Amino acid sequence: MKITVRAFARFREVVGDVTALDLPEGSGLPALLADLASRSDESRDLMFDEQGTIREHIIFMVNRKRVARSTLDTIILAEGDEVAIYPPVAGG
Amino acid sequence: MVKHLIIVCRTQGRFLTGGMLTDREIHRYSRQIAFIGEEGQERLKAAHVVLAGAGGLGCPAAIYLAVAGVGRLTIIDSDQVEMTNLNRQILHWEQDIGRNKTVSAREKLEAMNPDLIIEDVCEVITGQNASILIGQAGLIIDALDNFPARYALNLAALERGIPCIHGAVSGYDGHITTVIPGETACLQCIFPDPPGGSEFPIMGTTAGIIGLMQAQEAIKFLTGGGTLLKNRLLIWDGRDSSVSFLDLERDPECRACGGRTQGPGIKRGES
Repeated sequence: MKITVRAFARFREVVGDVTALDLPEGSGLPALLADLASRSDESRDLMFDEQGTIREHIIFMVNRKRVARSTLDTIILAEGDEVAIYPPVAGG
Repeated sequence: MVKHLIIVCRTQGRFLTGGMLTDREIHRYSRQIAFIGEEGQERLKAAHVVLAGAGGLGCPAAIYLAVAGVGRLTIIDSDQVEMTNLNRQILHWEQDIGRNKTVSAREKLEAMNPDLIIEDVCEVITGQNASILIGQAGLIIDALDNFPARYALNLAALERGIPCIHGAVSGYDGHITTVIPGETACLQCIFPDPPGGSEFPIMGTTAGIIGLMQAQEAIKFLTGGGTLLKNRLLIWDGRDSSVSFLDLERDPECRACGGRTQGPGIKRGES
């Protein structure tokens, strides 16, 4: 199934202009992140901490709805879904 | 005269200054009065804006709010000027190294526009003092450089019902959103967990772009013009000069605002 990915800020820089991913039917959000993380060490470090947990500050949105941290592992994607990934900046 | 009386009534004592424009002010601001009208200019004159942070975001935001004629500015920052600030913190110059940023900023702003009231507060914003520091201001610019202070400011703004324009930057990246207590997602709804790291690489131009967006958002809020970034996160990517938006919504479980049902009925142009 085709999933559209909108990556912002450092994600866009590291992962590149990924606009579509082809994932197996029934894949969840973690599978999508694992696919993106597999592209480089930098990409993996950006998404996962040393324990392999998805970094808490990253904002995920599926079809423009914010994904709560508590439901991140249980989200199942469907054909045509759009996933936005934004690692917020903090400086000023 | 009736118009001026109405404005004074609407402000409900939030402001020290305001009211009728002088001939000098009408002349000084004539190019923007042609756009926002005398009533808009009077609203700017009557406004009290807190600038939390006199750094990369706060400097450009303060400059444009000052020259636009915002009547009272309170600048809060605990830092002293360092050499490494000078690539982006454009109110601070080589001669200011070692001086309090708030004093350095106030002096430049007073020179730019002597008609304003500019207060400098050299304090770290914490959960203990944030509410006192923001006082009865009508609007806050979150131009801080760390999330613990941003969260404290967010909580105090929610408690007092004061709108807050949040901005942040790193490298070529930046974002901005406007938080209206009781109406929009608050900072904690949007960013429940703080980004890692403590010192971010920043291009001065990125801070300038986002700081000016914050100033413009403030002017729109104060004068009632345009459409605000309510429940929208504007994401700036300077690599290709692109702008994207993320739609936001309140988190009913938010640690900061989840329990608050209704704000104090803030209306634009009446901050």
